[in-house]
Amino acid sequence: MGYDDSAIEKTNITENFDFTGKASEYFSIWIVNVALTILTLGIYSAWAKVRTNQYFYSNTYLDGASFRYTARPIQILKGRIIAFAIFMAYYASSLVSVQMTMIILGVIMLLVPAFVVMSMAFRLRNSVYRNVRFNFDKNFKQAYKVFIIPVIFIGAYLIVAAQMQSIATENPQETLILSITVMILLLSIFLMVPWWEYMITLFKAEHSKFGGANFSLTATLKNYFGMYAKGYGLSMLMFAGLGIIVAVLIPMISSSEAPDSMGVFIPVVIIVFALPVYLWVFAYFQTKRTNLVYGNLVIQEHKVQAELKVGAMMLLYLTNTLAIMFTLGLMMPWAKVRTARYKASVMSVLVAGDLGQFVSTQAEHQSALGEEIGEMFDMDLGF
Amino acid sequence: MISGFYFDGKTSDKKRCTLQYDEQGYIRFTDIDVARVHIDSIQISSRLANTPRYLNFPDGSLFETTDNDAVDKLVAIFKPSFLNGVLHGLESAKIWVITSVSVVILFGWLLIQYGIPHFSKEVANMLPTEASQYMGQGVLEIMDENWFKETKLSINKQDELRLLFSQLLDNIEDSNHYKLEFRFGGPIQANAFALPNGTIVFTDELINLAENNLEIASIMLHEAGHVKHHHSLRSTIQQFSLAMFVMVVSGDVSTSSSIVSAIPLMLVESGYSQKMESEADSFSLDYMLKHNINPIHFVAIMEKLEASYSDSYDDCMEDSKEDLKQNDCLKEAVEKKKKSIDGKNLTDYFSTHPNMQKRIDKFRKAK
Repeated sequence: MGYDDSAIEKTNITENFDFTGKASEYFSIWIVNVALTILTLGIYSAWAKVRTNQYFYSNTYLDGASFRYTARPIQILKGRIIAFAIFMAYYASSLVSVQMTMIILGVIMLLVPAFVVMSMAFRLRNSVYRNVRFNFDKNFKQAYKVFIIPVIFIGAYLIVAAQMQSIATENPQETLILSITVMILLLSIFLMVPWWEYMITLFKAEHSKFGGANFSLTATLKNYFGMYAKGYGLSMLMFAGLGIIVAVLIPMISSSEAPDSMGVFIPVVIIVFALPVYLWVFAYFQTKRTNLVYGNLVIQEHKVQAELKVGAMMLLYLTNTLAIMFTLGLMMPWAKVRTARYKASVMSVLVAGDLGQFVSTQAEHQSALGEEIGEMFDMDLGF
Repeated sequence: MISGFYFDGKTSDKKRCTLQYDEQGYIRFTDIDVARVHIDSIQISSRLANTPRYLNFPDGSLFETTDNDAVDKLVAIFKPSFLNGVLHGLESAKIWVITSVSVVILFGWLLIQYGIPHFSKEVANMLPTEASQYMGQGVLEIMDENWFKETKLSINKQDELRLLFSQLLDNIEDSNHYKLEFRFGGPIQANAFALPNGTIVFTDELINLAENNLEIASIMLHEAGHVKHHHSLRSTIQQFSLAMFVMVVSGDVSTSSSIVSAIPLMLVESGYSQKMESEADSFSLDYMLKHNINPIHFVAIMEKLEASYSDSYDDCMEDSKEDLKQNDCLKEAVEKKKKSIDGKNLTDYFSTHPNMQKRIDKFRKAK
């Protein structure tokens, strides 16, 4: 990939993303990272992370210019040390008492919205394109507003469920009322998921900036309900079909084989037929979600486009998982590179005029704390 | 002459240009009207594979180029330093990459095989006994609520076993906090386990399996071995260390919980668990040999325990209500099961307990 002169006339042009990383190159970087991380008892991991991100950002081109990751390893190391301490406290508390763990978990849950905001800010402010920084408005108040309702419902569910445990045997009528409440709560949580995901995505998108310009999201709540309706509907159909297949197959097999071998055979049949369904569900949501977010981002007059395909993603996940499993992780670099290449190949920006009109703003100092803690507790915050 | 793009840092405007430098190290651009800058005030990104290089100018402007060789040459002339491209050197030389692969495999193996178990053992031994007193508090209560029922053993039988237990403890150091509990197992079936705070729980089903109290004693000793060696504490520390290891190596938290690492992690963890079971077995065996208890009692109870999980055992329990008949049926089930235990199965690698035949043989051969 070399540099091309972009067209200057003020018409709409589709600029494709292009990922130029190579599996062999990244393998070398990755294995050196892992070796140095082990030899330094984990300290190098901060440098490793920066180098990895630099490799993936800088190999991603749009309109001939690359992206740049500018976080400093020391920032990340500080964040990791604090996150490690929290992680240790969490583990240590599990040794002492269940209540202690619950309290620590509760405090962490309360801080999740703040972590999300800090993490987004850290990541975006360390992302640069054409020497203009991305940015994120640190609106904590709005973040808590977005997260509060689902947290209340889930909390209510946990409390009612705990209540049910303690009085289950004593009063049948009360038990009935409680189980109905639990059902209603569970159902509303289930129905709330698309709305919640939409609100979080909207929050993240609308507080993201490139230079002084705000992103906006054109996806609607209807899109999100549609994604879930189709995803759940089709997977239920597939599982129903699976049930029929298993119901037909098992008597056929059991009549021909000795009954003793059945114990092994039934799980095998279920795995063989259920895995593709599981894979489909996973790939479907990943694909649609990415398309909904990235395919509906607008900044000034420019539109981001994403056209991931479920089939291609299924194949990608299947081959990646098998390759990583059978090489005990040695193929992970290959898997990461080809995933990045595929995603870049189906993403583009519909540019109105040209991309040279963004105005840079002053960068602020950003702590790595949010991002690293967020990472430790496994939240997908990707942008 | 290096060709690339110039970005002024005020807007996202991109200008194609060529960078030129003279012998004194002054840099200027063709086609762009900016004052010349000396290379000492420029920050040049270090090389990373074939990704573009970024030259940061003091006024906030940036020059981006894919001509890595030309930038390397510029750096070599004006900013010679040992540190230049050390990492790139490691990452691009085959010998270092191969060395890294060996380091990762060797140290990874050493760490998993010896490092983490040893570390956990040291930490567990360092912590005061009181530490594990609090551990797992409430675990028995939770099990009582969900699975166990009150024991159906007679008070006499209970007292008899408690006496046996305290006699055994007389020869174990620091065993004041060990406690014996009985429960009706129900779904837990015939089983015994040790809680980190020293409470050892037997199910009625296991007591009923035993033909004499020495068989029960051999299991009590096995469980006492778990408590003595702080196994609960150690396995918690091991799990934590292992999670950290996977996280650090993969550079990614989600990997430690993803399907990709699930199987290797399960293998490692069951390996750790099997090691601890063997340790508890050894504790029991050593004690028995030292105090003249025939190890064959452990063999006898283990064979019955194994058989109790088989289908034919369940059939016995359902079919014959009379105790005598049931005992015969059970003996038959044990014999049947004995014949089917052979060699190492694939499932052994995933099991939390070592291969039953091996465990039994260890006791049978010890005389």
